[in-house]
Amino acid sequence: MAGPVNILRGINLTIGGGEVVSIVGPSGSGKSSMMMVIGGLERATSGTVSVYGQELTGLSEDALALFRRDQVGIVFQNFHLVPTMSALENVAIPLELAGRADAFDKAREGLEAVGLGHRLTHYPGQLSGGEQQRCALARAFAAEPMLVLADEPTGNLDGSTGHQIIDLMFDLSRRRGATLMLITHDRELAARCDRIVRLEDGMIVDAGEPAEQAAE
Amino acid sequence: MSATSVRWGLAARLARRELRGGLRGFWIFLGCLVLGVAAIATVNSLASGVQSSLRDDGRAILGGDVSLRLVFIQADEAQRATLESLGDVSEIVEARAMARTIDGEDSSLVELKAVDDVYPLYGEMDLAPPLPIDEALGQIDGVWGAVADETILTRHDLSVGDRLRIGEIEIDVRAVIEEEPDRAAAGAFVLGPRLMVSRGAIEAAGLLQPGSLVYWNYRLRLPQDLPAEDAIAAIRAAHPEAGWSITDFSDAAPQLQTMIDRLALFLTLVGLTALLVGGVGIGNAVKAFVDTRIATIATLKCLGAEGRLIFRIYFIQILILAGLGIIIGLIVGAVVPVLVGDLVSELLPISVSIGIYPSALLLAAGFGVLTTLAFSIWPIAKARDIPAASLFRNLIVPTTGWPRLPYVLATVVTTVALAALAIGTADRPDFAAWFVAGAVVVVLAFRLVAIAIVAIVRVLPRSRRMGVRLATSNLTRAGAPTANLVLSLGLGLTVLVAISLIEGNMSRQVQDQIPDQAPSFFFVDIQPDQREPFEAAAYEQGASQVVEVPSLRGRIVAANGVPAAEALQDPEESWLIEGDRGVSYATEPSDRYTIIDGEWWAPDYAGPPLISVYRDIANAFGLGVGDTLTINVLGRDIEAEVANVRDIDWSTINVNFTMVLSPEPLVNAPHTLIATVRIPPDQETGLQRAIGEAFPNVTAVRVADALDTVNEVLLQIGTAVRAVAAVTLIAGTLVLGGAIAAGHRRRVYDAVVLKVLGATRGNVIRAFLVEYGLLGLVAALIATAVGTIAAWAVLTEVMNVDEWIFLPLSLTATALIALGITLALGLAGTWLALRRKAAPLLRNE
Repeated sequence: MAGPVNILRGINLTIGGGEVVSIVGPSGSGKSSMMMVIGGLERATSGTVSVYGQELTGLSEDALALFRRDQVGIVFQNFHLVPTMSALENVAIPLELAGRADAFDKAREGLEAVGLGHRLTHYPGQLSGGEQQRCALARAFAAEPMLVLADEPTGNLDGSTGHQIIDLMFDLSRRRGATLMLITHDRELAARCDRIVRLEDGMIVDAGEPAEQAAE
Repeated sequence: MSATSVRWGLAARLARRELRGGLRGFWIFLGCLVLGVAAIATVNSLASGVQSSLRDDGRAILGGDVSLRLVFIQADEAQRATLESLGDVSEIVEARAMARTIDGEDSSLVELKAVDDVYPLYGEMDLAPPLPIDEALGQIDGVWGAVADETILTRHDLSVGDRLRIGEIEIDVRAVIEEEPDRAAAGAFVLGPRLMVSRGAIEAAGLLQPGSLVYWNYRLRLPQDLPAEDAIAAIRAAHPEAGWSITDFSDAAPQLQTMIDRLALFLTLVGLTALLVGGVGIGNAVKAFVDTRIATIATLKCLGAEGRLIFRIYFIQILILAGLGIIIGLIVGAVVPVLVGDLVSELLPISVSIGIYPSALLLAAGFGVLTTLAFSIWPIAKARDIPAASLFRNLIVPTTGWPRLPYVLATVVTTVALAALAIGTADRPDFAAWFVAGAVVVVLAFRLVAIAIVAIVRVLPRSRRMGVRLATSNLTRAGAPTANLVLSLGLGLTVLVAISLIEGNMSRQVQDQIPDQAPSFFFVDIQPDQREPFEAAAYEQGASQVVEVPSLRGRIVAANGVPAAEALQDPEESWLIEGDRGVSYATEPSDRYTIIDGEWWAPDYAGPPLISVYRDIANAFGLGVGDTLTINVLGRDIEAEVANVRDIDWSTINVNFTMVLSPEPLVNAPHTLIATVRIPPDQETGLQRAIGEAFPNVTAVRVADALDTVNEVLLQIGTAVRAVAAVTLIAGTLVLGGAIAAGHRRRVYDAVVLKVLGATRGNVIRAFLVEYGLLGLVAALIATAVGTIAAWAVLTEVMNVDEWIFLPLSLTATALIALGITLALGLAGTWLALRRKAAPLLRNE
């Protein structure tokens, strides 16, 4: 049997509220793992992770789920919309999970904001790739999370659709004041972010400059 | 509204949306549930129908509020007066007799029933043409009338209006019996079709000779205000020594009742096996379904859904689908009895009240719900632990290991509840408990064997042949359905093996073994003064052996002076005191008897009565040599000292008596003889004709005909058993098909990759053939072993069959069926897999 493998080693990173950060690095360097630890999707075996003052390290599986529900929005490369639910229902899920009575009104607003007001009752299978990702964006931002994580959000889209999605995502996170972390292989996209964090072999080789410092 | 109900509400809402995906992937789940529930509902609805008929029509089935039966002797005037003081009385005589054609060429055994003019007290005789019964049986121009079962007319190629001979007279068959209300009350063992005549006819025929085996039945119709118990108490008080067996309408046909209860239990257990096999399929289907939803589950978790909510979402979906399957099963289970009801009524001596029996349906639904829960909580509970992080890695791996403790406990509780329901609702809880224990052992055995196979194949040196290597690694890879495949196919096969062995053994007992040693004929009701002329006639017709034994009927009254009911030590043996038993007398022991204890009396013994008793009777009453047994014969109590205890070899068809007395007390009592005659088959007809002509009062029972009757009953029961067993095998095949289909995606991928690497279709097919061949072979081997043990246990322990025959042919056939099914289903899947084009799969994987 193979022994445990340390995927992330000696990571020390602080990201400010409202920052837009890109994570870059070769395949297997630990980008996804780091994002999962920050999003409370996986637990670090040692060290501490704190998001908006909330310590994640000791939280149970269910407490992490509640943390994600209230604080985190996630955008995937493969969209991961629930195929049996309409666009409106997909966007409403996080709001419904939070017990919001106005879940569907909010979801409708969210879809309208990403230009899908005319596609509310369509199922994922009836939407184009770009539309699915816009729907996924609306879902990620629906519960107004303070942290949005995006894993190669344009990886499955053509160039121009990808640009639109990125513009939309930057716009949404700026307007809501949310922190946005995105993994990408696209240098041009990485360069548009406030800050670039580069990983290699599980370690941060370049943490970039925090936005305020860069501005200064 | 509480937070919990809000969460259940949300779970229900999300579940409903998920169900929009349709029933895809759930056909096997529904199939298994429908089959199992429908089988149990059908069996129990039919059984309830029979029980309800027995309960509601008890008076008609019994023929009165109270029925009394005497053997050999008619009730005397005082007894008759007592009965008449209580209510209306009908006297009915039953005997076995020969019906002969007018030319004397052909004769057959009939169950003769002679009725008086008040018969029937309850219910209606249904005749074709629809004559009133007294008109059909009365004397017209000096000829008595009769009504007969259709079989008698067919057998002798006669039609209504033709004549037959019984005893010394001719009778005119005026109608066919469509329905006889009190037929079931006659008892379970019927050797021939019914012929009904009037009391006048049976007397004129000369069939009521002293000592003839004649049953005198007295049916009472009581006034409304006289309860049957009170009437019975009065009768017993007035005539304590009468020796009649008394039944009231609430227990009109106890033998039929018991038979139906046992058969229903047996068929329910077979149905439960189908449901158990189906349960494996349900578990597989739920797991396969959950596996297709891993991405959705992980997505919901990423969006903040807790594990509990995930469990609820999928639990609700499974409950809804199970509800659908159970409802369909119940509908089928309610409709099938209507379709087969007439058939069942024809097979039974009563008409079955077909209807909807809520308790039968409720029981089937209960089994369905508990089976669903027992098999689906586990895979759903594992789904709740699917990590949200799987989405980031495109690593859609099913979770392994055990679910959380509460879910394990819930599974245990529902399994125990399932077992409790099976045992608690059974007519024989001990039998059901053995079944449950057996089922648990079998399921565990299959699991262990599957684990062992995987472990053994894993440590074996890797084959150099690519096909074998691929096959063995398919069996042993993580998440391989090996265990489920072996279990689902194996359970169904085990039932099939056990049933084919039991059936094979039973029919072998009847067909092969017995006739070699059996006589050709039994002749009953031979008068003592007919003994010598009868013997001479039989030898003249070519008989090779004629053996005659005195035959009387007696009831055990007391043991060592203690009344029989109190003296009985084993309640299982209560049949001994419920009716009358055969009694004989002899000077010397038969060579078929093995004396276990004591000695036979001297040939010229003439002292106080001595008795030789069969081992089971001695055990039932705790009797030994020197103790006393009191028997009522022809209304007279005979207290006899036990001279010896003996064993009887029942496997030979011969006249065996459990109680044989020393000659003195019986030799002068009115009685008849039973004769066994051996004769070459081609001379049987001649013998039957000659005896019929010369001794019209003697009844011939052709052993071959009697065996046919027994065989027919076995065949009918066998058909019911096979039908339910087939349901089990269909469920097993469904489950197997489902399990193979669940691995289909992986198989397609494997096939495509192999093809890309240059494997021919032949290579791929051979690899899968080895894999499924191995699985089928293993399942067949274990099923053969377990099924054989089960059959052996049922035959020797439950049915008390002494000689157990191993039937390699049935087993081989069953094993081949297993291999065939596995290979066919596996190959079908592989064939589909091979037809898939490589490019689309490779592009996206």
